[in-house]
Amino acid sequence: MRLEAVLQSKFGYPAFRPGQKEIIESVLSGRNTVAMLPTGTGKSLCYQLPGYVIEGQVIIISPLLSLMQDQAEQLMMNGEKKVIAFNSFLTSAEKKQALIHLNQYKFIFISPEMLYYESVLSQLKKLRIALFVVDEAHCISQWGYDFRPDYLKLGEVRKIIGNPVTLALTATATSEVKGDIKKSLGILDDCSEFIYSVDRPNIALSVERLDNFREKTERLVELAEILKGPGIIYFSSKKKAEQSAELLRDKGAKRVMAYHGGMDQESRILVQQQFIHGQLDLICATSAFGMGINKDNIRYVIHFHMPLQIESYLQEIGRAGRDGKQSIAIMLYSPGDEQLPIQLAESELPDKAQIDWIMEWVEENPNAIPNIGLFEEQIKQRSGLTDVQWRIFNDFFDRKSKSGLDYRRILQDMKGYYEGRIKLKRDSIEEVYKWIHKKTCRRENILSYFDEGKNASVPSCCDICGLQLGNFTRNTNSDNQESPLYDWKNHLEYLLIPSE
Amino acid sequence: MERSYLKTVIMYCVKELQGQRTIYSILHLLNGKKSSQTIQDAHLFQLTPLFRTFGSLSRDVLDQLAQELVSSCWMAPTDEKHFILTSEGQEELGRSLLECPIPSSLNGWLYHSAGDLFWERITLLIQVISHLNNNNVKYLPIQRKRDVHEWLKYFLRTSGFARNEVGVVLNRELCQCLERLSDINPAVLTLRLTGYNRIGLTAVQTSEQLGISHDYYHHQFLGAIHHILASVKENPAEYPLIDKLVSGTGNEVQLTLSAQKTYTLLKQGLNLDVIAKTRNLKKSTIEDHVVEIALNDSGFNITSYVSEKKQKLILQAANSADSLQLKQIRQMVPESDYFEIRLVMAKLGEGQ
Ligand SMILES: [Zn+2]
Repeated sequence: MRLEAVLQSKFGYPAFRPGQKEIIESVLSGRNTVAMLPTGTGKSLCYQLPGYVIEGQVIIISPLLSLMQDQAEQLMMNGEKKVIAFNSFLTSAEKKQALIHLNQYKFIFISPEMLYYESVLSQLKKLRIALFVVDEAHCISQWGYDFRPDYLKLGEVRKIIGNPVTLALTATATSEVKGDIKKSLGILDDCSEFIYSVDRPNIALSVERLDNFREKTERLVELAEILKGPGIIYFSSKKKAEQSAELLRDKGAKRVMAYHGGMDQESRILVQQQFIHGQLDLICATSAFGMGINKDNIRYVIHFHMPLQIESYLQEIGRAGRDGKQSIAIMLYSPGDEQLPIQLAESELPDKAQIDWIMEWVEENPNAIPNIGLFEEQIKQRSGLTDVQWRIFNDFFDRKSKSGLDYRRILQDMKGYYEGRIKLKRDSIEEVYKWIHKKTCRRENILSYFDEGKNASVPSCCDICGLQLGNFTRNTNSDNQESPLYDWKNHLEYLLIPSE
Repeated sequence: MERSYLKTVIMYCVKELQGQRTIYSILHLLNGKKSSQTIQDAHLFQLTPLFRTFGSLSRDVLDQLAQELVSSCWMAPTDEKHFILTSEGQEELGRSLLECPIPSSLNGWLYHSAGDLFWERITLLIQVISHLNNNNVKYLPIQRKRDVHEWLKYFLRTSGFARNEVGVVLNRELCQCLERLSDINPAVLTLRLTGYNRIGLTAVQTSEQLGISHDYYHHQFLGAIHHILASVKENPAEYPLIDKLVSGTGNEVQLTLSAQKTYTLLKQGLNLDVIAKTRNLKKSTIEDHVVEIALNDSGFNITSYVSEKKQKLILQAANSADSLQLKQIRQMVPESDYFEIRLVMAKLGEGQ
């Protein structure tokens, strides 16, 4: 019962959730482990708890800065002081300081691009690494939608730091992607696998078809009015999230706010905290919202725009119902909605014309080839690459030219590679499109996408199997109380004077 | 978005500028551009309180609002991008300022940088006190910047106040200070504070709760902050704890980096020609720096650049001229050059 005791004393939970204990026991016994746990079921505990049981450091590679920051802060909130998030948020002085004292930390979060620095690697080598965690491990796969070129280095990094026990965590991975994870990390023949169903039976699935954008908006207003909150509505544009929050407030829903990456940091923190503390009922968000948010009682998630892939859809709806209670995910669809994600997907990668422009530039500047990264500004200027496009380009070029390929060949390969990526993205969108249009059980279709079968009967399954929206609506007027008059002196006193 | 208050501010600037500067000098002023020209204009036309009080105003928005002001016949162009108020505009401005006066405590020039840092510190401190009072250690800090956290640790260690006393003293000082706000509701500030089980509102939420436009709210919020900073500066003994919060927020002489370098060399006794040569800059640029220094450092004596006699002549001319255009003053005091006139005007702005 030792692990349960740690769980209780360090985290205050009485029992493990399904899967957690098995995964923790596996890494504690020194086995490399690939674990797939659905979103919302406590993945991070699988590396946090071992940190308190074994000697040495836990290194966590995390692909998204905001996610990493949230995870590090959660540990700190739990009273853990020996945490550092080693990423580009740190100033260079802070980085230096942190590197010198790296061995004094227990949990070290690192963003993958930091691993390019020799100074970082050499410090890592000196540590006694108890556990090497790759979070969101599906980003390693070139077949995965979220492919991160930086992640390809992880296998090599792992070797350099002495093949520590490795835990690869992901919420969603097809069998192809799972294979890639193991291969890239170099643990193909030497690892245990714990795969739990991506299914969350307490989340009902529904797709509503509407004729056009206007009808969708009207339906959104209606749903926000009747559904029992708290809820999240996802949009694929900041502007639409902002406008919808305003529209809903105009319609009388007071406790609604937008959340997106374009807001200043203080407002983002406040809105997120207001939602967690129950001061808001509804968030109109972009996909920037929700990662690392610990809120158990979200009752519904609505998608106003079509998601780019089944995987991200599952992640987003997975934020509902973490307390195990009945919740619902609703996707609003109107014909033509698939155009927007296709445009978004295509704009992420450089196109053929841009690569031709780069080709011309390289021909004029052959000396730049070995250090192409130094010419970022010039190349961006010539070809109009965005920051994201540049990173993808630079990484590809660097990797290929190190392996001795001629630049003409590299750029030629690149075109083929990008075409492949774009096709992959189109295919992902096509999967979502097909899912929306199929006339058979929605849960079964998602599960079969991940090579799973549907378990016995789920009571409120999906709109095709039959759903009563009435099960998800709220009692009217329950939250219509007027707030008491605000008195600033009372408020200050509440904040500053102990109440005894 | 409702922007009539911002339009009022723009009209106010247009009035003060008397058609002598382009509309974009207002953009630079409100954005808080640290160029010698902007800084001098702010002083010359007594617009320093508005310096960097709409940091994110864009050129497009300004253009559009200016266009609207022209369509309403409140403003008329005199030259390319130069405007003056029409008589209807003057009336409208008077009416608007009566309804939504620019907060009297607003002082962007003096407090723009100290204000930001002060806000980060005090919001974090209040959050920490509130959670300490309730024996809760599990919460997410409302400020993420590492240096603010470092500062707080340092403050709690060295403030000289007992932990259980800090909240009581801060409450007393804040109440006392905010009560003296004449034209601003203290709620503009307090509604945004976060503590135990109560998360503060964002700027947008606060303005909506108070029923004022975002722009007007923004100025009132800054006005309240600047009021606190000014109160502490004037009477530190009355606000010993807030005084500690303000210390080191760096509000002494503010110069552009380049002007700072020039100032260092000036203090070493080098003359302008030598400085220009050493720094490989034009002499006119160095002169810009000297004017900037004169504007910023009230202790800077300009007599070694303009004789007292000339200063008097220039002042007389400035007082009798119907505009503050340098050219006009120059015609009245032909023996002086523009550099000398600008220096005297810099000191003139200070006096007001
Ligand atoms: Zn079904």
